[in-house]
Amino acid sequence: MNVVPSRSSEWVRPVTSHKPASAIIEIESVSQVFQTSARKDHLALSDISLTIDEGAFVSILGPSGCGKSTLLYIVGGFVSPTSGAAKIKGQAITGPGPDRGPVFQEFALFPWKTVLGNVMYGPRQQGVRASEAEAQSRSLIEMVGLKGYESFYPKELSGGMKQRVALARTLAYHPEVLLMDEPFGALDAHTRTRLQNDLLNIWERDRKTVLFVTHSVDEAVFLSDKVVMMSKSPGRIRQIIDIDLPRPRRRNELLLDPRYQKYVVDIERMFDESDGAGGPS
Amino acid sequence: MMSPAAVLKRAAPVLACIGLLAIWQAAALVLKNDSFPTAIEAIRAIPDILGDKESLINILASLRRMAMGFGAAVLFSIPLGLLMGRSRAVAAFFNPLLMVIYPVPKAALMPIIMLWLGVGDVTKTLVIFLGVSLPVIYHSFEGAKAVEQKMLWSGAAMGLSPLQRLVRIVLPAALPEILTGCRTGLVLALITMITSEMIARQSGAGNILFNALDMGQYDTVFAMIIIVGAMGICLDAIFERIRARLVRWSEPQFDMPLSFS
Ligand SMILES: Nc1ncnc2c1ncn2[C@@H]1O[C@H](COP(=O)(O)OP(=O)(O)O)[C@@H](O)[C@H]1O
Ligand SMILES: [Mg+2]
Repeated sequence: MNVVPSRSSEWVRPVTSHKPASAIIEIESVSQVFQTSARKDHLALSDISLTIDEGAFVSILGPSGCGKSTLLYIVGGFVSPTSGAAKIKGQAITGPGPDRGPVFQEFALFPWKTVLGNVMYGPRQQGVRASEAEAQSRSLIEMVGLKGYESFYPKELSGGMKQRVALARTLAYHPEVLLMDEPFGALDAHTRTRLQNDLLNIWERDRKTVLFVTHSVDEAVFLSDKVVMMSKSPGRIRQIIDIDLPRPRRRNELLLDPRYQKYVVDIERMFDESDGAGGPS
Repeated sequence: MMSPAAVLKRAAPVLACIGLLAIWQAAALVLKNDSFPTAIEAIRAIPDILGDKESLINILASLRRMAMGFGAAVLFSIPLGLLMGRSRAVAAFFNPLLMVIYPVPKAALMPIIMLWLGVGDVTKTLVIFLGVSLPVIYHSFEGAKAVEQKMLWSGAAMGLSPLQRLVRIVLPAALPEILTGCRTGLVLALITMITSEMIARQSGAGNILFNALDMGQYDTVFAMIIIVGAMGICLDAIFERIRARLVRWSEPQFDMPLSFS
């Protein structure tokens, strides 16, 4: 992920310890314990440390129940970790904030608002004037491919369309980091690939930092610069793999690319091995 | 441009009323009982009641108490129910209290309330308030409890404070459920209104009804029953219209014209 320093201020600033790719999210020895019953504690995350560079597309990949969502919620500030800390731009995360925009598998749209009303909600909350918020929201709705559906209510939309609205709603308040929790997990295969393509197109325009949770190996390799592989019980980072594939990525080219295939096969094999070796001991 | 089925659907409530009146008429003619006037006699007595200034004032006083009791109950119960639905502590505090009050017929509390507050408007309005509160609290509570966590998180990420989330997310999200409670509350308001006037006989629609009963004016009694019933049906119909408008976004929709990913 070579982040091109784009701002002109980079030129004037005296060159000190500024690194080309600077960390935006730092997760430092985070552990999460859930009390499942009066006596039993469940260690959902064990000593997770991870740094995410600005502008990177990072996937968290692992089997169901390994703590992917929990980790994302901690970064979102929705859950506070039992121990350790998460930081954004060096500041400890103490709660949710508009610098981190979540997109959930369940969409979580406001059903009493139209598509336009949902997308405008964030900017309006941020104090953007109604006319301006509306103009911005309309162009975002067009960008996610929903032009013409501005006055529809969520119940009138299919799952794929709802997730497009959810993405637009989050992009509308310009978070610095997108937190996506299996956003395409509830969609059929065809819709999922369309949304993956569209997400990549959108992302390649402005290169926001994305933390993307998935349990699909293909999806992780196709989208990401970096794949964080997690293992289960307790949730740990197994390995971090850089995905060195050219961008912009086109699905039809990539699926034929031996390098892509090798990433997928290698990652799948690593998970299989851990299943074999990681049984009850 | 209405299909026969649609016409029938529209006319159904009217037909039901006519049918009911017809059965009443026939039964009264067969039974020939002094205390059971025919439907036509009862209907004939309606204009007399509505034309009489005294009666009209009584009925309006009833409606005013009902509106005040209902309004106060809704204003009090919705915030309480929503808070209970979102906060374990608030729920734990109020739940036992409500569980005790819930099964008690509110009219049974009237003698005590009368003792403290007299037989005037305050007592009757308070009883209506109590009658309406419980279903509204209950439904607001259930509605607030069911609000999706991630919807609230989405709002929190946009910068909504806890109070803003309660007012701008929990309230609208729970509105369909809240309005279901209010509809039940409205009918209960009418019932407690009449009951309270029956116990504290001083003014109101219930007072006219029971005075007429005492004096053996059975056509007036039945006319009042029709009037009160019609009031209930009208209020419910008006409320239902408002409700349907407010929560159009939540009604299940069957004709989805879309085929788009
Ligand atoms: N609020 C909670 N209370 C108790 N256990 C939880 C809670 N949230 C998650 N867990 C448990 O923690 C583990 C990790 O959950 P999660 O982060 O949702 O995993 P993933 O997203 O990878 O499927 C699971 O075993 C889950 O049951
Ligand atoms: Mg999950």
